[in-house]
Amino acid sequence: MTTEIITNQEVQQKHELIMSLKNVGLSYRRKRGVFGEEFWALKDVSFDLYQGDTLGIIGRNGVGKSTLLRLMAGIMQPSHGQLINTGYQASLLSLQLGFIYYLSGRENAILSGMFMGLRKREILKRMDSIIEFAELGDFIDQPIATYSSGMLARLGFSVAFQVDPDVLLIDEILGVGDAEFYQKSTKVMQEKIHSNKTIVFVSHHAALIQQLCNRVVWIENGVSRMAGDTRTVLAEYHKFLHLESAA
Amino acid sequence: MRTETRIQLFFRYLELIFYKTYADLRAETERTYLGFMWWIFEPIMYMSIFYVMFGILLGHRTDDYVPFLLVGLTIWQWFKSCLSHASETILGAHFLMKHVNLPKIIFPIILILTDTVKFLFIFTLLLAFLWLRGYQINEYYWALPVLFFVQLLLITACSLILAAIVPFLPDLRFVVENVLTAVFFMSGVFLDVSKLPHVLDFHKQLYYLNPMVNLIEDFRNVLMYNRSPDWQALAIISIFSLLGIWFGKYLIQKFEYVYPKVMP
Repeated sequence: MTTEIITNQEVQQKHELIMSLKNVGLSYRRKRGVFGEEFWALKDVSFDLYQGDTLGIIGRNGVGKSTLLRLMAGIMQPSHGQLINTGYQASLLSLQLGFIYYLSGRENAILSGMFMGLRKREILKRMDSIIEFAELGDFIDQPIATYSSGMLARLGFSVAFQVDPDVLLIDEILGVGDAEFYQKSTKVMQEKIHSNKTIVFVSHHAALIQQLCNRVVWIENGVSRMAGDTRTVLAEYHKFLHLESAA
Repeated sequence: MRTETRIQLFFRYLELIFYKTYADLRAETERTYLGFMWWIFEPIMYMSIFYVMFGILLGHRTDDYVPFLLVGLTIWQWFKSCLSHASETILGAHFLMKHVNLPKIIFPIILILTDTVKFLFIFTLLLAFLWLRGYQINEYYWALPVLFFVQLLLITACSLILAAIVPFLPDLRFVVENVLTAVFFMSGVFLDVSKLPHVLDFHKQLYYLNPMVNLIEDFRNVLMYNRSPDWQALAIISIFSLLGIWFGKYLIQKFEYVYPKVMP
């Protein structure tokens, strides 16, 4: 079902293969118990991810995009098909992961960073830049229970942003917080995406994908309909949406 | 490319386990005005109730019934709190494990460590109480670390197996609580069944199949009666616990990638 259009073949051959998905499917059980019926979140997904790619995954709501990221992060394993990771660490960008309400911002930064794969000393080394970026100042040693939702969002982003896996998997989130911090966080995130890092970015927002990604996989109903360079895939995606709404 | 060796991974997870244990303990102390003083007050209150009930109201003030009871309760409480809390750990970490790939075995381990730290506070209080009542440090105290270790093995085995199964059978949680209450009454916390008249030998043997009966009796032997623990029983408990730990670890690793798909 997948049409792999290789327009920039030379570029791809120069870069190392990071991950390869072949006819990957994943099923959940919808209900508890012996009679819980199976539900296929993903049915047949195939594409490759290369070093330095910014790969966009586009599709309508509920077509299995988030599940796909969890597969790539190694959180789940395919029920059928093959997912080959050639030895890179891929992780989801998760905000406020593992935060404990009664602990200080500093303790939560350490805890959250450790959950996301950093060692304690690495977080301590980056603590100053975390505090500075989050604009928390002395509040860092106050329990996060006293934080405003904006402060919490800033801390969550600043910690998550410090985690630097080989492949960063982003599910819709670019920026967080109030208008000012939203701009600031979106800006650094876009800089990260534009750098040579390998990024997978999930969105149903075609304009954002167009702006950020060099390659795109289009998922429809658990199936990868097309994978290739951004322009070609997005054009097909729009054509499909148009037909759908007309029908 | 950053690939961690198995040893690096092991130490990273170990660091995470210790920091999370610290964080959970601290969060618990931050939640109340008196903070960690509750780890002392709560058991004092708990023990006082039994002292008033049995020592004063039921007239056991002079014999050794109250110490007998408190040793049993303290040791039992450690076992009970770990098991009933640990059964929820993997289920409770559902949000976390949907966002990051971690070995699920760390969640019950963190819980066992937190509850064990709290137990150590209570145990210190128990020692203080015993010394006040005139029980002295004796030559068998050196066996205490062994007793702790064997009971920790038993707790780990039961906790891992429970934590592994409960996500698939959440209904089990209700059963666990009641089974624990039943085992509580069969563990000789209140009375020494072996000393009761009219107990058949066969029933006595069955009774001693319960590892907690042996452990509680061993703690009492060391702390109150200046007697050596039953080494043979301890060895048997250790062997079965190690097998249990292996089995629990096997189960959790087998379902490592299934847990994130299970509904909380």
